[in-house]
Amino acid sequence: MVLAYKLIPHLLAWAGIMLVLVRGFAGRRKFAAIAGSIGFAAGAAGTLVLLQTLKGDTPFAVIKILLGGGFLFFLVISVVALYRSSERSASAPAGRRERLANSGICAVSAASVSGIAAGAVCACCFTGFQNIFALSLFLAAAAAIMAILILVMENLLPKAFVVSPSGLAAAVSALLLFSSSSLPRLDLFAPLTMKVMKFTHDFVHQFFESMLIPDHMFFTSATWNFIGLLFGNGVGFWGGLFIWFAPMVLVIAALAFEQIPPVAHIRQGAQRRKLMAAAVRARRLRLIVPMCAAIISGGAVYESNFPSVEYWDPKPLIVSANPAGEIIIPRKGEVDLEDGNLHKFLYKQGGKEARFFILMPPSGELTVDLDACAICKPDGYGQAEGTVICYYCKTLIPLETVGKPGGCNPVPMPFTVKGDGVHIDGVSLINTWSSTVQSTARIKGGGK
Amino acid sequence: MMRLFRHIYGFLASRALTPVVMGMFLFLYIGLAFFTEEALITLIGLVGSNVFLIILFALIPLNMGVRLLKEVKGHFERRRALLGEMERVPQGLFDETVAVGGAPSFAEAERRLAASGYKIHVSGRTLSAWRGISMFPSRALFLAATVCLFSGILLSLAGRSSYRGAIMEGELLPSQSGQATDVVERITLEPAAGPILSKVLTIETRPLPPDRGGATYGLYPPARYRGAFVYPRYMGIGLYYRFTAPDLPRDYASRSLLGIYPPGKEDRRDIPDSPYRLVFSMAQPADGSDPYMTGRVTIAFKLLKGKDLLMSGSAPIGGEFSRDGYRLAFPDVRRVVVTDFILDHGVVPIWAAAVLFVIAACVWLPVRLLSPRREMVFISSKDGVLHACSRAEGRCRKHAGVFHDVLDVLEAAIV
Repeated sequence: MVLAYKLIPHLLAWAGIMLVLVRGFAGRRKFAAIAGSIGFAAGAAGTLVLLQTLKGDTPFAVIKILLGGGFLFFLVISVVALYRSSERSASAPAGRRERLANSGICAVSAASVSGIAAGAVCACCFTGFQNIFALSLFLAAAAAIMAILILVMENLLPKAFVVSPSGLAAAVSALLLFSSSSLPRLDLFAPLTMKVMKFTHDFVHQFFESMLIPDHMFFTSATWNFIGLLFGNGVGFWGGLFIWFAPMVLVIAALAFEQIPPVAHIRQGAQRRKLMAAAVRARRLRLIVPMCAAIISGGAVYESNFPSVEYWDPKPLIVSANPAGEIIIPRKGEVDLEDGNLHKFLYKQGGKEARFFILMPPSGELTVDLDACAICKPDGYGQAEGTVICYYCKTLIPLETVGKPGGCNPVPMPFTVKGDGVHIDGVSLINTWSSTVQSTARIKGGGK
Repeated sequence: MMRLFRHIYGFLASRALTPVVMGMFLFLYIGLAFFTEEALITLIGLVGSNVFLIILFALIPLNMGVRLLKEVKGHFERRRALLGEMERVPQGLFDETVAVGGAPSFAEAERRLAASGYKIHVSGRTLSAWRGISMFPSRALFLAATVCLFSGILLSLAGRSSYRGAIMEGELLPSQSGQATDVVERITLEPAAGPILSKVLTIETRPLPPDRGGATYGLYPPARYRGAFVYPRYMGIGLYYRFTAPDLPRDYASRSLLGIYPPGKEDRRDIPDSPYRLVFSMAQPADGSDPYMTGRVTIAFKLLKGKDLLMSGSAPIGGEFSRDGYRLAFPDVRRVVVTDFILDHGVVPIWAAAVLFVIAACVWLPVRLLSPRREMVFISSKDGVLHACSRAEGRCRKHAGVFHDVLDVLEAAIV
């Protein structure tokens, strides 16, 4: 039952992919359906093997890279589509391109690649499943049944439902992203927002340096607040959204600005108007698929921001320091520090406070870390199976690497373990929180 | 040779070149982001040091330059066509071209076009009509701005060099060669009433010997000293202090550059060959004034011996602090601005690009919205064929309707 529930978004995405493939390659619909189903089975089986043979996050990283590559490929397609549609000379050899796009090779390649990607994402639901063969067969059967259903249903759809090559790419990409976003480990949007935030910080810094713009201390607060928007928390999200939707928007623009075929050579006014009206109508119909793809991409963003996974996130316990400034937390006191769960604490000193957690990862060595990283807004961490997640950027950090500095890892704190428990220096804790974390909440690196 | 030249020209004038090159850099950036957190800085460093990447990047301004030339040529060719100075219109000059057999009279077409609001020009066997304002100036400005922008970035990536120096009142301006010829007369920091800058920093210098006028360096736009932009980074003070301790054989005196601005920021100095260390900061005046601006500086200090705090206190400039045989005097203080001297020939083209982009946008937007250029030309050739060409920079559908109607009228005139 749980398996079926897990599979729903992936199979729905697969059905959508199959539908646009079958309609997009109307002359090769059976080829596309068969190639897609075989691709799905191969992708699922391959991923299940990867999940069993490779440890940790490696299989997920491999699939994420493939998905990212697919997204970039779609970006290239959208740029080319816009480039072609904005060509002013009417001498573009469109016929050859269309023939190539409708060829059997193209249909089989596109369908099998889409199938492999969809199957790989779908198989990632099943971590720790032992009987790979049975599961592969089950997934292949599910994919094949969906393909047959779609082949039957596609005949019932109106002729007006047309799928252009760029629209096809948009739909496949959006559905794959939707499918992957339902699994936090395959989610691409959250890491994208992180990269965008980092890029924006670096770019603004470099721009200030290159253009010899004075330091923030010389600016009025109004100006600096305005510049500070670029260092704010929203820049990653909005910049990520911009990139996420850019290919869709480019495809929509390419179709919307597609030039109407020249009709000046036709001397009957009525026929001319009829042809132009037909061209405009066809252009509008071709917009339906990419617009639906944009909505599905929006769904992927929603899934990324509000994942359905429950995280272990205990309420921080308030702790205080002794006269020597040391915080001492017993190993087995109010909470058992060695139970493998993340335990959060809050320390307050002179109007300042710092949030931290103690965790015993699978290595068996306790680690004390700030409940924040050096990059993101300090929204804190939650614990899931084998990972902790940064609530702000949704990056998953394997438990093995918690306690190591860098990237979006929680900032590690020095501590000692003595007979009476874990000892942490309160001043260092407050100072580290202030210097490392609070800067990320406002302006990273002083804004430059 | 001409064929090769045409191929090179076609490559450099291609609309696809710039997007392709930018795409390559995007992929390079993404590739670097897999390996390093500092992908942008790494990419900048890589481009600056790699000849192949420099050449690849140089294709962008080159492409834009060639496209600018091509569009200027196209614009003037279209003007010639509209003025009836062309027998045959080259392919690609207009959006839509059609040939109709026969040599019609233009009289009825002229009337139709005039009624549709077009300006008419008849010259020999050519009828041309146009309305609206051409976007060519804004397009040319845009392309020129792009050339400037990418040339500036290229120059900056390939040739930027800098050195850092401390500019101190009464001292020579730092020079990379060490042969400074200007002395810093005064550094002032004043409040500014502008909407962008809250403070104005001014560095006044005079030449040594005084064979020419002095110079003034401010914040923005930065002035140049020996070709290098003077880019103030942060401020501090040059504090002259004298320290005496019971266990020191003699007084220690030094002038130190201390990065202790704004007030409260600390900087520390070790007393050589001793366990003493001084931690300085600038005390915040009770009236809330800025000591760097007013010059009324009070130095707060902590004296440490090893890790132990021996004493702390404060003293104004010209004053001293004395206790238990320890004495700390502050006879003199001077303002200091730690400054980067940047040799970069790319900055000015980038500024120029920004100005050109703004002008281009200011021209483009109203023209595109209010009165885009629409033009058509009908050339009746000697061999009895009517060549009709049309082009619109906006409101294309309406323009195409007029064009088709006029074609119908002309064809009827043939019949």
